[in-house]
Amino acid sequence: MLVYTVRRVLGAIPVLLLASVLTFVLIDVSGDPLSDLRMQQPPPDPSVIELQEERLYLDRSMPERYWLWMTGIGGNGDIGLLQGEFGPSTQSATYDIGENIADRLGVTLRLVTAAMVFALGLAVLSGVISAMRQYSKLDYTLTFVGFLALAMPTFWFAGIMQQAGVGFNELVGAQIFATIGDGTYQAQGLDAWGRFTNALAYMTLPTIVLMLTSFAAWSRYQRTSMLEVLNSDYVRLARAKGLPNRVVIRRHALRTALIPLTTVVAVGMAGIIDGTVLTERVFQWRGLGEFFIAAVEANDSFALMAWLMLSGTAVIVANLIADLLYGVLDPRIRFE
Amino acid sequence: MHKRRKILALGAAGASAMMVLTACAGGGGEETEGEREVTWVINSLPAAWASISSAGGSVYTIQTLSGVLPYTGQWQPDGTYEYNMDVLAEEPTLINDDLDEGPFQYSFTLADDAVWSDGEPMTGEDIRVSVMMSASPDSGYCTTCDSRGGTTADMVEEMEVDGKTITFTLKEGLADAEWMSQVDAHSTGGGFYPAHLAEENGWDVDDPDQLGEFFTWLHETRPEWSGGPYMITDGDLENQVVKEPNPEWWGEEPQLDRIIMPFNTDESTFVNAINNGEIDGANPAQYSEDVMQELEGLPQVSLSVGEGNIWEHVDLNTENEWLEDVELRRAIFTAIDRDDIANRNFGAGYPEYELKNNHVFGSDSPYFTDVITDSGQGSGDADAAIEILEDAGYELDGDTLMLDGEQVGPLRLRATDTQTRSTSLQLIQAHLAEIGIQAEIEVIDDLGGVLSEQDYDIVQFGWSGTPYFTTAPEQYWHSDSGSNFGKLSNEEIDELVEAVGSSASQEEAAEFANEAAALVVEEAYVLPILAEPNYFFVNDRVANIEDNLQSSYRATYNIGEWALAE
Repeated sequence: MLVYTVRRVLGAIPVLLLASVLTFVLIDVSGDPLSDLRMQQPPPDPSVIELQEERLYLDRSMPERYWLWMTGIGGNGDIGLLQGEFGPSTQSATYDIGENIADRLGVTLRLVTAAMVFALGLAVLSGVISAMRQYSKLDYTLTFVGFLALAMPTFWFAGIMQQAGVGFNELVGAQIFATIGDGTYQAQGLDAWGRFTNALAYMTLPTIVLMLTSFAAWSRYQRTSMLEVLNSDYVRLARAKGLPNRVVIRRHALRTALIPLTTVVAVGMAGIIDGTVLTERVFQWRGLGEFFIAAVEANDSFALMAWLMLSGTAVIVANLIADLLYGVLDPRIRFE
Repeated sequence: MHKRRKILALGAAGASAMMVLTACAGGGGEETEGEREVTWVINSLPAAWASISSAGGSVYTIQTLSGVLPYTGQWQPDGTYEYNMDVLAEEPTLINDDLDEGPFQYSFTLADDAVWSDGEPMTGEDIRVSVMMSASPDSGYCTTCDSRGGTTADMVEEMEVDGKTITFTLKEGLADAEWMSQVDAHSTGGGFYPAHLAEENGWDVDDPDQLGEFFTWLHETRPEWSGGPYMITDGDLENQVVKEPNPEWWGEEPQLDRIIMPFNTDESTFVNAINNGEIDGANPAQYSEDVMQELEGLPQVSLSVGEGNIWEHVDLNTENEWLEDVELRRAIFTAIDRDDIANRNFGAGYPEYELKNNHVFGSDSPYFTDVITDSGQGSGDADAAIEILEDAGYELDGDTLMLDGEQVGPLRLRATDTQTRSTSLQLIQAHLAEIGIQAEIEVIDDLGGVLSEQDYDIVQFGWSGTPYFTTAPEQYWHSDSGSNFGKLSNEEIDELVEAVGSSASQEEAAEFANEAAALVVEEAYVLPILAEPNYFFVNDRVANIEDNLQSSYRATYNIGEWALAE
């Protein structure tokens, strides 16, 4: 397994390298990072623009910039992925892209982790129930809810949830749910219980939005997978042996039926970092989604490249984890 | 039976949890009893803690620093200019504006009781250092200060500090009709900064490298200093800032105990947030009819809409093979119906909109003269446009405009992809079709790139205007200006716009500016449409608050006077 892991990690290097070239070229040709500055009123002195071109390495050729971005050799110490520097930002001379990504990753993970745990639990539960009661009213209801959640545009659903939260607050006459922000500042000076309720107030609505959008697809996977297993010979044999239905479902069917979901969830976890863009925007969480939008708005090439590289790396790592988990969950699979 | 008991127990637990939450939750969002607190939204994230740099110089940074940065004066909502007599001992003095008698000179004297929040007195040195940091890198004051531009600062030859007084002497032959703007609310820095902190941190401000370090420090360090009624006590550049009264403030006592300013980039969240008591108001940067309509329906909210400072205009590329003919340009502008564009975009939400009839001055300016209406440009009069074309030798062949047997155009009609501009382009396309010109709409991703490369035939975009006007005409129309994107070249206009920049008085400068604008209309180079409206909304529990569309500070321009309604 160790050899397999090392081989997979080494295999990921050329993929990442190719991704870095594509990312760099696509973003580099997509626009002028200084276009806003050039349009400024009153117009900045040419020396200001020169200073910025120098700071952002725009006075170098594209291949040279790529080399700088990867290695940092020949730069001012603020660039070079291999040295842990993501490059200068158009957003401000003092804006540290790496530091911002680290901070915002924490915010996004807080949101994503809670949403994923609940989404996974709900998906497994509803998938199993749907499969066990195939074509029943409950199955149809859960299927309808699943497709509804899949079809709802995130920004719209988020708006509806905000409105529902406000409606609920009005009904009970207290501010149970907050609609904007992550509540970090509001938690200052509160005791443990206060922090808990504060977190609930700020996290509940965005978590529900993120949870439902992920749950929908996963529950469909779980239902299909469970149905397949329930119709297999070994489950039939278990039933024939007279095992109680609970034991058959829990020990024999569910364990096997979870395997395909593992892959989907692992890759989905990586993808959800991209998927939080809209949720974070609507609920005003300063996570990686907002980082991405700010980078686009500011024509911040190096910040965008950092985000895309992080996203790409997350997908590769998630795939690797999924493959490894497969082996752990299914004893028939051996790594060679 | 057993199952039902379980369900009941679960329900009871849920209800208890909800009751506990009802009692406890949301504590952070609510103000402590008896505290006078207002939550005011800033519509985007400030990039830095100071606004002198090109990156930090946004309205969001300025609004974040409202009530903290001292300044010498500001344009008021009604278009009048007011000196800040809390900060100044007397109105600034124009020492000499007759260049025949000597260099242009003026001085500011700060009030005796004007102090920073650490008790240090404000002096002329604070202004001197702020101007040095605002000047462009070529001025030699600072090696690494990437100031966002300091036309006024760059004119300065010498600054003489005498305690609370600073005297400016401009470079030989230069005059500045807007000299009072040097460190006012509309200046590069939005005010002036505490120079004594440089010394406290061990930097010599007369060393260009060390001034650069101070500049960087100001931009990256959350101000613990203040020269206004409030000071920042908590916050960061991503979520919010919290302001509390400055104990050393010598002016009228602030009426609030705390102002929280969350940064919120999504206008669609405003309605729910104000309904939920999470915010008290905002002055968004963009016009949004949907949000406005929802806000209008809220009984506890006041909404106002007015002309913003971004004015939309249509520009022609005078180096296009067809558009180099001024008669064709005039016909195109005559065929465009500005009222149609304005009405379709803003008629529903802001029926009081006014078309912009002067490139430089708004209709409320004392210097305003209508240079557009009589020309017929923007009237949408297709018959008049066709007459112009026929007089110039063009002819209509069916629905196609021809010149010497050749089809005129098609022309590329471009703008960035906003709802307002998309509507506008479609209308212009239809207007031009009426005079036989085919226009092909192309969306712009990179406006700066497209304009600087002249990659358009007809383009619509916006300039931001301020009551200060002496630098704009030269930027827009001088043949050597990098922002004269359509390459208008007219010696008379060049002379006039140079005269605007070098006039010693605003009246004289305004006269030159109006003459230049009239010539630009004759050249049919830029057709102003209207100033895009901005809106402002506030919960009625907040008093003494109004929008100031003349200032980047917007509603925060008088933050020291905000109070809670009785």
